[in-house]
Amino acid sequence: MTPSRQPTAKTGYAMASSMDYDVLIVDRMLPRRDGLSIIESLRAEDDKTPVLILSALGEVDDRVTGLRAGGDDYLVKPYAFTELLARIEVLARRSSPAEAATSFEVGGLSLDRLSRKVERDGETILLQPREFRLLEYLMKNAGKVVTRTMLLENVWDYHFDPQTNVIDVHMSRLRGKIDKGYANPLLQTIRGAGYMIRE
Amino acid sequence: MNRVVQLWRTSTVRLTALFIVIFVVFSVLLLALISYQSSIQIQRQQADDIDREVTQLERIDRERGFRAAIVAVERLSRQPGPGIYYIGTQAGLMITGNVSDLPVNVLQEPGTFSFNYNLSRPFEGEAKDKSEGNAVVRSVVLPSGLVLVVGRDVVERRGFSAIIFQSFLFGVGGILLFSVIAGGITAVRVLRRIDAIASTSRMIMSGNLSERVPVTKRNDEFDGLAQNLNQMLDRIEQLMLGLKEVTDNVAHDLKTPLTRMRNRAEAALRDGQSEPVQREALETVIAESDQLIKTFNALLMIARAEAGAPSGAFADVDLSAVAADVAELYGPVAEDAGMALETHVTDGIMARANRELIGQALVNLVENALKYYEPAEGKAGKITVGIRRLNDRVLIEVGDNGPGIAPEDRGRVVERFVRLEKSRTEPGSGLGLSLVAAVARLHKGQFRIEDNQPGVRAVIDLPAA
Repeated sequence: MTPSRQPTAKTGYAMASSMDYDVLIVDRMLPRRDGLSIIESLRAEDDKTPVLILSALGEVDDRVTGLRAGGDDYLVKPYAFTELLARIEVLARRSSPAEAATSFEVGGLSLDRLSRKVERDGETILLQPREFRLLEYLMKNAGKVVTRTMLLENVWDYHFDPQTNVIDVHMSRLRGKIDKGYANPLLQTIRGAGYMIRE
Repeated sequence: MNRVVQLWRTSTVRLTALFIVIFVVFSVLLLALISYQSSIQIQRQQADDIDREVTQLERIDRERGFRAAIVAVERLSRQPGPGIYYIGTQAGLMITGNVSDLPVNVLQEPGTFSFNYNLSRPFEGEAKDKSEGNAVVRSVVLPSGLVLVVGRDVVERRGFSAIIFQSFLFGVGGILLFSVIAGGITAVRVLRRIDAIASTSRMIMSGNLSERVPVTKRNDEFDGLAQNLNQMLDRIEQLMLGLKEVTDNVAHDLKTPLTRMRNRAEAALRDGQSEPVQREALETVIAESDQLIKTFNALLMIARAEAGAPSGAFADVDLSAVAADVAELYGPVAEDAGMALETHVTDGIMARANRELIGQALVNLVENALKYYEPAEGKAGKITVGIRRLNDRVLIEVGDNGPGIAPEDRGRVVERFVRLEKSRTEPGSGLGLSLVAAVARLHKGQFRIEDNQPGVRAVIDLPAA
């Protein structure tokens, strides 16, 4: 990926509509123009490039307006760099077939979205509904780091800010179900960033 | 002069002036109508009087002869008043009467005449020498051949008009004077009240927030306004005090971790530190800054909730589902901590709410219950998450059987950055319950801490939709 940076809404819009990018990162507070209007203009031109909105406006309604304007993800300042990186990774692969796939496979672990069945090396693993969604999200983004906030947002659909290690507890339970007793653990903790599932 | 200009600018004075103008115009119209009507009335009455006297005198002449008629005219003309009498020949020879120089045609052709005279009134010799006037007379020829003239001086009528006009002048003048005085007094009073409000607001603008608009005992509309303004000022002052307190607290609570971070980084840079030590220091710095970011986010969220989120952030939310979600999210955490998390959720409680904020408030309460749990022999830790309807209220409750909060501290813990002595050692920002309280207020409800016997029962009490 080659990043290009445009300081104003005008040049940013010009570049975004004329060139082909994997991901656009748009700040909401740009000089003279709301970043959202750029996204709206691009979407009106049928440009489907994934957009990550950056904002200092953290209220939920801001998030809702951002996503409604056509943004694909919304990150509130201040954010950790790992968080931004992880989200870009996920967004950049959004147009890939994984999004629409009905089943995933990672190193002998398979998940079928239609029958809601999870198997590892042919053995069925029973998961709670939430655990299933957790694993589904991880496998959809296999090989990429997903942060705790991303998990909370996508699996539980909440944007709040837990002080405790609540996600870690759920992950360790999931790990107990899918990795326990197997030689090669698939679910890995990435220190200072989040989790990743890979072979 | 300035004061007069200022006074003129007040709406009271302008209104008074407008009313005076309207009043005068109407008075003049009314007066004109009255004087016109009454002059017509008087004219008619004079004509009637003249006719009656003529008829009487004619009858006297007919029944008792012309001598009796002459005597009667003689008697009438001696009476003081506006009466004009003449009896004599058609040639102009007066037998008796109080007028000598009648126009010739009055005597020649019997009928009704009106004429001006510019002479001394002939019938009242003494006074009123040069009165000008207008007379109405009627002349008839009696059966005896004598000419009888009966008339009235119209000066009387004029006198009446003058009286009406005079009373009008006095009336209008008096009312004018009264209105100006009354208007002036009202305006001065209004101006004084407004000035009091204005000077208070100037003092407040110059920084003295404790100033208040004076309220009188009259309990009028100005007092109503003043009371409202004072309540508004109380609220503003309260907010300002809160803001100041928060700023002080933020400064203190953020300075400490920042200083700690800086010192750690400095220590890691000192020469002779091995790479693993430096790496560890950097990781601590990152962890510290993450904590700072969380504190900032919490502060921002409280500020947003207290400012009153735009209604766009409110939607119909299934509060029961939110409570169940939070319970489900924290169930395993509680289990790992050796506690049981029970739910008492009444399904399908809906409300206009901000889902994220309600969720965050519940998370804060559950996390508090987890954090202050003290494992003890023979006592299993228990957290209950519940939502139920009570009359027209929705109660969202999080209870525990932990150490509890002393009654005297229950009000204080919701203040920003307030951390009780025994919680100082625990990680946390001291913002959790402040946010819960702010969220409850945002939803027009309240947050309170009750005794769970033992432990804490935190209740978010919202109005039911």
